[in-house]
Amino acid sequence: MISIRINSREIEASEGETILEVARRAGYHIPTLCHSDGIAHYTSCMVCMVREKSSGKFMPSCSSPVMDKMDIDIESDEVLQLRKKAVELLLSEHRADCEAPCRIVCPAGYNIPLMNRLLSGGDLENAGKLSHNQLNTSEIWCFHCPGYCENACRRKKIDIPVSIKNLQIFASGKNAVSDKDPVKPTKEKKKFMSLAGKLEERELLEWLKETDATLTRHREISSMPDAGEEALSCMHCDCRASEDCRLRELGQEMEIKDPRGKIVNSPAEKKINRETNLIFENAKCIKCGLCVRVCEDRTDEPVLCFINRGFVSIISEPLTENFSDILKIRTAECINICPTGALSWFKDNDVDETVK
Amino acid sequence: MKENIEDTNRCNCSEVNDQNIESVVEEVVNQTGREKDKVIPILQEVQKRLNYLPSEALKHICRITEITPGQISGVSTFYSQFRHLPAGKHTIKICQGTACHVKGANLVTDAFRRVLAIGEETSTTSDNLFSIEEVACLGCCTLAPVVQIDEKTYGHVKPTDTENIIADFLHHASKKTRSSEVEEQEKAESEIRIGLGSCCVAGGSKEVLAEIISIREKYGLEVNLKPVGCVGVCNQTPLMEIITEDKTLSRYTNVRTDQVEDIILRHIKPVKLDKKIRYRINDIVDTFLSDSKLNSPANLSGATREKVLNNFLKKQLHLATEKSGILSPESIDEYILLDGFSAFRKCIYLPDKNDITNTITSAGLRGRGGAGFSTGKKWNIFRQSTDNLKYIVCNGDEGDPGAFMDRMLLESFPYRVIEGMMVAALATGASEGIFYIRAEYPLAVKRVRNAINMCSSRGFIGENILNSGFSFSIRIFEGAGAFVCGEETALIASLEGKRGTPHLRPPYPAVKGFGDHPTLVNNVETLALVPWIINNGADAFNTIGTEKSKGTKVFALAGKVAKGGLIEVPMGTTIRDIVENIGDGVAEGRKFKAVQIGGPSGGCIPEYLADTPIDYEELTRLGAMMGSGGLVVLDDADCMVDMARYFLTFTHKQSCGKCTFCRVGTKHMLNILDRLSEGKAIMDELDELEKLCISVSNGSLCGLGKTAPNPVLTGLKYFREEYEEHTRGICRAKRCTSLIKYVVTDKCTGCTKCSQECPVKAIPFNPYQKHEIDQTLCTKCDNCRIVCPEDSIEIVNLNDQY
Repeated sequence: MISIRINSREIEASEGETILEVARRAGYHIPTLCHSDGIAHYTSCMVCMVREKSSGKFMPSCSSPVMDKMDIDIESDEVLQLRKKAVELLLSEHRADCEAPCRIVCPAGYNIPLMNRLLSGGDLENAGKLSHNQLNTSEIWCFHCPGYCENACRRKKIDIPVSIKNLQIFASGKNAVSDKDPVKPTKEKKKFMSLAGKLEERELLEWLKETDATLTRHREISSMPDAGEEALSCMHCDCRASEDCRLRELGQEMEIKDPRGKIVNSPAEKKINRETNLIFENAKCIKCGLCVRVCEDRTDEPVLCFINRGFVSIISEPLTENFSDILKIRTAECINICPTGALSWFKDNDVDETVK
Repeated sequence: MKENIEDTNRCNCSEVNDQNIESVVEEVVNQTGREKDKVIPILQEVQKRLNYLPSEALKHICRITEITPGQISGVSTFYSQFRHLPAGKHTIKICQGTACHVKGANLVTDAFRRVLAIGEETSTTSDNLFSIEEVACLGCCTLAPVVQIDEKTYGHVKPTDTENIIADFLHHASKKTRSSEVEEQEKAESEIRIGLGSCCVAGGSKEVLAEIISIREKYGLEVNLKPVGCVGVCNQTPLMEIITEDKTLSRYTNVRTDQVEDIILRHIKPVKLDKKIRYRINDIVDTFLSDSKLNSPANLSGATREKVLNNFLKKQLHLATEKSGILSPESIDEYILLDGFSAFRKCIYLPDKNDITNTITSAGLRGRGGAGFSTGKKWNIFRQSTDNLKYIVCNGDEGDPGAFMDRMLLESFPYRVIEGMMVAALATGASEGIFYIRAEYPLAVKRVRNAINMCSSRGFIGENILNSGFSFSIRIFEGAGAFVCGEETALIASLEGKRGTPHLRPPYPAVKGFGDHPTLVNNVETLALVPWIINNGADAFNTIGTEKSKGTKVFALAGKVAKGGLIEVPMGTTIRDIVENIGDGVAEGRKFKAVQIGGPSGGCIPEYLADTPIDYEELTRLGAMMGSGGLVVLDDADCMVDMARYFLTFTHKQSCGKCTFCRVGTKHMLNILDRLSEGKAIMDELDELEKLCISVSNGSLCGLGKTAPNPVLTGLKYFREEYEEHTRGICRAKRCTSLIKYVVTDKCTGCTKCSQECPVKAIPFNPYQKHEIDQTLCTKCDNCRIVCPEDSIEIVNLNDQY
């Protein structure tokens, strides 16, 4: 048995345990990103940093074995600052599109992409509920609104914006015109948004992969099939993991400023396998390697791997394989373990997304 | 097209088609093995035969070995050596080392690109004849800037030389080279020695040797020819020594091929009558009809010739480089004759092998790779690890740009390093040794391989060595191009066939390393010192040096110093002593500004601190680091922001990419430095830069990331005004291209040389009129300033205050 101190409290530990394991057992919370219980540690994200007081050294707690007489500091300012810096750096390398531009500019903060997904799935009832709940009134404000949403719609840069106003009016089922003032803008600023609006041509083409460019576009919406088809033209600009992203959680917890434009790396490529329902967005990857490690050494099917070195290293299918041939068996494992939205279900059939 | 040249330049690689690829792969795999850890040697050999790694080759490798597609993708894209697209028939490697950088390597790259019309997006000429590659240090720093085309090295390359170099290369490639193979002769009384280290060869030693051989034959001279390893006097190569029958030694430096005949014949006369006559005739003809006799260095007195060398050699102390200039790198017999393997013999019959480690510990030997950890302590930990299989790795992955000590030790003293490794094995119970040598050091690989074979054939390596019961085998592993693999855990990962990413320590490799077996990783120089310590005793070693840093250290002195080369000095020698006494001061009359010690992990020490003794703790206290031994001298034409940017570019490119701080943090730091060098950064960014440096230093996983900020931190510490000046758009060294311009002064005579050399036609051709440079076109390539015979072109600051 070994004895260590955490935040000046004596704690017993066994040889071979890591600082993180001991700390958690003792009830302390240390944030992590690239760690997952049961998977060999990789020491990549550096978010789990702690400090050993006698040597003054900072160490990643997920991989540091406990040693006798260690004196661990978990929560001092320096430690918190270093963790915050790690998350900041990761955010600067991560294309944060937590919320779609249309939702961000909407004065009511309406979840437009969700509405589109519901409509394209044929779920008019829930689309209507969403509209009534979020727009906070039974009246139709969109009719008066100049349509910031359509102005911000990324589809606009390709052909015409998604006909959001008309879709919403159709979904809410009312066609009465009101002369009340529009709803005041929602106070809650939705973080994070690295490159909203600033898409290059090559990036736009990637976003177009989310939909079928041959669909007919509808400006006026008068029937469900039309609504469904128009809603399908949505390019899904919001992140699939926006409610579920460990990086976003940490960023908000640590009160990190929105990087807005200070991003350093953003390969826009989207790789989609419609058969296995898998989408991989490299721009959201934080190189934690969990998807590689969870499948490590499997030889029954090709899996993801790291390629290149250093700043330009990325996760990819092996050079000798096509993306459509990998992860047929292990799709769910990889998607579930990914801490950000980099690996997600392409179509989330479990539309339990909040229709609040 | 000249047919001869085309014929000789036809690539010897196999033609690439699927069937052929498969058979090449199968041959290679049969030779090498099918296990996962064989992936790097397999890829190296396949690429050698096919010129690159076609996708079909990767697929087939996965089919017939245990290597997975993920592994082969990850590994073949991690290491710089591998390429997935065909390269040109000849590769032009332009060294990006520190010394080459300060002498303008980037201008040389630009020049080659221009002359060969290689576009931005590619690195191969349209006819696939040449490819350009920017390589990390070639290890010929005293000849900076260095360019290597295939096997031929060119030194002191100026941007205006590029066309000539290409022509010369193509010409030589088609000529049959004269033999520089020395045939064993009957032992004669006199001897001629010629240095044949890599730098010497780059300086033309092979041609000199070929000339010596032909002269010997022409006059039937009875003299031994002995190629020797590096003497370290790299700035004076080719270096020739003649020892006559009466044992006098005469040294000649900077020998040209046309001087060889005269020099030799001064000392060694032909014996046979017909040759004697021939000699007399030639002698008379030469005396009357040519100047070569007058100008021959053989005319200078021995004392004069020696003086130049003596200053360089006087202050040195050769321990790791003992017998330098005398030992031939290839002969085991000579090594044995001159006390080689005596340390090993002493140790092999010791009843208590722990004595060996105790000797090393009390000698005070510390790791020479950079960190300076006590070697004795490391051996002890390793010794105590129990396992049937224990490995010793000699770390020859010297990647510091500007450092070439380990290269020299491996090329010139391979037997000594092997002996050091074997003593370590005896002391610690290891059974297998691995020499990990950079792929960029082919001569070192060749020499070590030859040495290992010779040792095996004499029974020094193998089973039951010298009937002692001790068995040891050694193999070589060639690194595939990743600076980070100098870090011991990353090195071990690459040995295991993985991407070279480090892992956190503990566990230490001495306890759990290669294949989870205990592994001792020691630097080349560390091992090279072991035989001396065993032979002369711990006390003899620890009386040299300072209190905490014992013994000697080999340095690669390069940069803006008059006499660069490889030197071995006692610890405690001051920096100033090295620069001014050994190196003969800053070259070309410029002002000594700083030294960069320790490569990209080290820092710049300003001139006013040059009286600091070389010592591990002293250097760390100043914010620098001993490092592996690179010592680059900087003058007032070197910009400290540019130096920091150069090193950070290197570490950023070499980062393995695993941990957040090194992968992303160095990018942010580099952005700020780029903006500084363009004059776009503001004062606040200096504080941001400093804070970032400290975070990266604290948060990185391994030594690469932890020390990457050092050049910036020392720059900010000792040269803060220069950084601040850059925020105001001024580069006092006139190096940052965005902040300077080239102007023609009144000294101009209108000779039009600059106009002819200007690659972008920024100087109109107006003979006899003062030339003008069109600033909108000027790319600041430096050509005009180099060729101007009147020195009339000056560099001035755009935001001129100076």
